[in-house]
Amino acid sequence: MANDSDNKAGLYRRALLTGLWRENPTFRLLIGMCPPLAVTTAVKPALTMGLSVIFVLVCSNLVTSLMRNLLKSHLRIIMFTLNIATFVTICDLFLRAYAPRMSEILGAYVPLIIVNCIIIFRAEVCASKSGPIVSILDGIGTGSGFTIALCILAGIREVLATGCFFDIRVMPNGFVPWLAMRMPVGAFVTLGLLLGLANVMTMKKES
Amino acid sequence: MLRIKHFVEQSWLLLVSSFCFGLLIAVASAALSPTIEVNKATKLNELVKTLLPKARRFVALDTEIEIKLAGGKKERARVYKALSEAGDCVGWSFSAGGQGFADKIELVVAVDGTFEKIAGFNVLVCNETPGFGDQIKSSYYRDQFTGAPAERLSLVKAGDSKKIDSEIVAITGATVSSEAVVQIINTFLVQIRDQVKAKGLVGNGK
Repeated sequence: MANDSDNKAGLYRRALLTGLWRENPTFRLLIGMCPPLAVTTAVKPALTMGLSVIFVLVCSNLVTSLMRNLLKSHLRIIMFTLNIATFVTICDLFLRAYAPRMSEILGAYVPLIIVNCIIIFRAEVCASKSGPIVSILDGIGTGSGFTIALCILAGIREVLATGCFFDIRVMPNGFVPWLAMRMPVGAFVTLGLLLGLANVMTMKKES
Repeated sequence: MLRIKHFVEQSWLLLVSSFCFGLLIAVASAALSPTIEVNKATKLNELVKTLLPKARRFVALDTEIEIKLAGGKKERARVYKALSEAGDCVGWSFSAGGQGFADKIELVVAVDGTFEKIAGFNVLVCNETPGFGDQIKSSYYRDQFTGAPAERLSLVKAGDSKKIDSEIVAITGATVSSEAVVQIINTFLVQIRDQVKAKGLVGNGK
């Protein structure tokens, strides 16, 4: 009995923590790479995008998990898409109502969450095979891993491009902003360096 | 009969889910639409004030202005008269929309008090391709409209963008979006101008 609850606790912990680092979508799996390149010019939009992805991921994982025994294999992709599109639409409406400025900055990238492969990937790999609690924890874990990656990337770019972090001045007055960091080249260079760092850290850990 | 049974067996979950998800979106939309509309109106006011800095208040026209759209559809335009502190007419503004490259584009357009020159336009809603189509918001493109004659405009692929006339130079890599903006302004501006002038609302001072 105790063994059973230990197993469950381990399962829940794994579902929550795996997405943070070992299966981090941005740094380890390299999936859903459009937002890390496109919405990381500042931390605020990156955080908004991350929270939106967490919301969609948790809701779509929960619904997929609840209907997993009814899913027909040849209809599952269309069911996932329908499910994801619904929550993305709700999230988009919510942002337009309560965070219009962020909605404007993120523009088409919020509706584009529908085609973000992280969400359909988690629905296929985890939610369609697991119970609701594991699916929710997996959504929170993977979404948080994605959000942390976006915020790290955005933090570096915002500081170097504007001298500010979260709109608060952090660099000395003589600092000359690196304008390239605001442009796509800044996203590619920062992401490449962070991926290199992630690989070095993983190799050290493994050795 | 067997085929229908097979169809229902295979697709009942899809049909039920589509209905439930549709209902969920409808409820969310109904709950959030009023707030979204208020946000839009606030933004519209702010944007128009930047185009007509002398304007202190805006009065909606009582008379109906009907716009004939492409494909024979008709739309009622919301036209506002911009008044100065003293109550003089300093311009006109209206919102206009049409199909862009990716989605619908919504603009707010302002013209001077005599409906002779465009005071400029601002973008209310735009989901055009980031980095390309969304450059319709850039000053390079928008500044070409400020001071242009309030008549039918035309889009050219190359030219002097600093020359203010009825020729608008397209954004490189975003010709469809540039064309869409010109089309939207042409459709609304000319019809509103003609109807407002025909009703004797222009040039009557206050």
